[in-house]
Amino acid sequence: MKRNETRSDVEEAVIRTENLTVGYGETVVLQGVTFHVAKGEIVTILGGSGCGKSTLLKALIGLIPPLGGSVWVAGHPIVGPDRQEALEAVRRKIGVLFQSGALLGSFTLADNVALPLEEFTDLPKALIDEIVHTKLAAVGLADYAQYMPMELSGGMRKRAALARAMALDPEILFCDEPSAGLDPVTAAELDTLLLQLNEALGITLVVITHELASILAISQRSIMLDSEAKGIIAQGSPRDLQEKSTDPKVLAFFHRNPSLLAQAAGSTTP
Amino acid sequence: MRCTPSAPFVLSTSRRYHEAFTRLVATPGLRTIVLEMAPVSTVDSAGAAVLKTWQKECGARGINLELSQAAPQVEAFLRFAGFFEKPTARPAPSKKRSPLPERLGVAAVRLWNDTRDLIQFIGGVTVAVGPCCFNPKRFRPREILYYIQQSGPEAVPIVFLVSFLMGLIMAFQAAVQLRQFGANIFVADLVSLALTRELGPLMTAIILAGRSAAAFAAEIGTMKVNEEVDALTVMGFEITEFLVMPKVVALAVSGPLLTVFANASGILGGIVVGVLSLDLTPASFILEVWQILTVGDVAGGLVKSLAFAVVVALVGCFRGLQTERTADSVGRMTTSAVVTSIFLIILTDAVFTIIFHVFSW
Repeated sequence: MKRNETRSDVEEAVIRTENLTVGYGETVVLQGVTFHVAKGEIVTILGGSGCGKSTLLKALIGLIPPLGGSVWVAGHPIVGPDRQEALEAVRRKIGVLFQSGALLGSFTLADNVALPLEEFTDLPKALIDEIVHTKLAAVGLADYAQYMPMELSGGMRKRAALARAMALDPEILFCDEPSAGLDPVTAAELDTLLLQLNEALGITLVVITHELASILAISQRSIMLDSEAKGIIAQGSPRDLQEKSTDPKVLAFFHRNPSLLAQAAGSTTP
Repeated sequence: MRCTPSAPFVLSTSRRYHEAFTRLVATPGLRTIVLEMAPVSTVDSAGAAVLKTWQKECGARGINLELSQAAPQVEAFLRFAGFFEKPTARPAPSKKRSPLPERLGVAAVRLWNDTRDLIQFIGGVTVAVGPCCFNPKRFRPREILYYIQQSGPEAVPIVFLVSFLMGLIMAFQAAVQLRQFGANIFVADLVSLALTRELGPLMTAIILAGRSAAAFAAEIGTMKVNEEVDALTVMGFEITEFLVMPKVVALAVSGPLLTVFANASGILGGIVVGVLSLDLTPASFILEVWQILTVGDVAGGLVKSLAFAVVVALVGCFRGLQTERTADSVGRMTTSAVVTSIFLIILTDAVFTIIFHVFSW
């Protein structure tokens, strides 16, 4: 626990991990990961390629079981014997925007957004249609409701996926590299959309990214992972990390300067 | 020795340079080679590789290789290519093929794990059937109708063609023998019994394996590659219920219906041979079929076809869900779905044969 955090801050966090170890089979990707995310906060999890960002996300959304430690998401511990029951409860409270969008290719945009509403609510069709329209309008795709995902550009697919992730008004929205593969303008639009969701709905955002522009635009707090350390090497506001950090890996990341890493490696070589 | 290469060190001159150098280093008593690079204006990757090979070869033979008067752009490229760096040991070539017993062991363990996973998967689907029976809407009727359309009516032409030809060939082969004994009419018995009890269900199932198992594996596999399966899981959908159940139910409907159609098509093939080469009338052929076939024969075949269809659907979905996040994995799993389906169809058929034999069905 950091000095300026109180015990109640941590206890009231919507996401909390303690000594979390994640990986695949016997391969440990991250270990001893401890952090929390407060309600309504926008946290970016960042780091170089292969540092375990997506693996951590998979553990947080219950796609892979943690190898050790504890995780609480939306008040439910998603480890231990009651993991499955906890996950069922958690999944009603979270939304996930996947890197590829992951819209169902054989469904129209409207059907994609309606899917969780039809499955997990008993709302009449007219109400579901209204909610779908509202969500698609919120992401600027109201006119594309009857389009198939393949008929849209990458940015539009991401926005449609965001509408689907928001269908059940989740408490927490996880985004896996939302700006990946998008041009800077479209990426900035998506960032603005995420900020609006946070401001309008008070939704907690956990964004996995390594896009510096996105990090600086949306993040209130950043958690930086490193593949060598297999864990968190820094956390704080992105501006602080960029301007005040002394860690060469953090500086190399924020200043897009790989030579800082080489210098650090050189200075530690005997 | 001083050498002055004049041609550029590029792909087209690399072979000539390399051969010339091989002759040069064979000169006895050579201590130093100085390459005067002033006339060389261009070096590409192949040329840099030639120079690096020379450097290595000279190092091994104790010859000092020096470059002089290299143009700035040539020196810059050679620096980029690592010519001026201390040569480092290359990583060892990929490890040798493991010995046969080890490979056999690995294959056996893999087969065991695969079998265990398939049994677990079938168990999972079986458990999911219960809740769906209490709430039929969970069977997803719209999807079921879609997959019935895909696997049933759209398979009719190929099922007809294969079964018709099968009946035709069987009748023709039987006719050649039976004609010698004046037992032409028994062609009808052979064709109808063989088709309804064995070949109709089997051929239909193999066609389903080629069409539907492959389609299911490719569809689910692609969904896995596109993270759609993860998205459904995270949204709280039961993958077995959402993706597997409609396909299994659809094939359980279309499999037996296609088998009935296959039986009829095969018998039609038999009638064609009977009429054209055995002087039988269609009516006498059909009458013989009517007399020889029992309800048990037809029902036994349909029970088999139901089991085969469920096997095909389960294997197709199972392989689809085993797909990893690469395009080639979709291809491998699709192939594997067809091969595993056909193997399990034959295995299931053998089990049915034993059961029917024990119960004298």
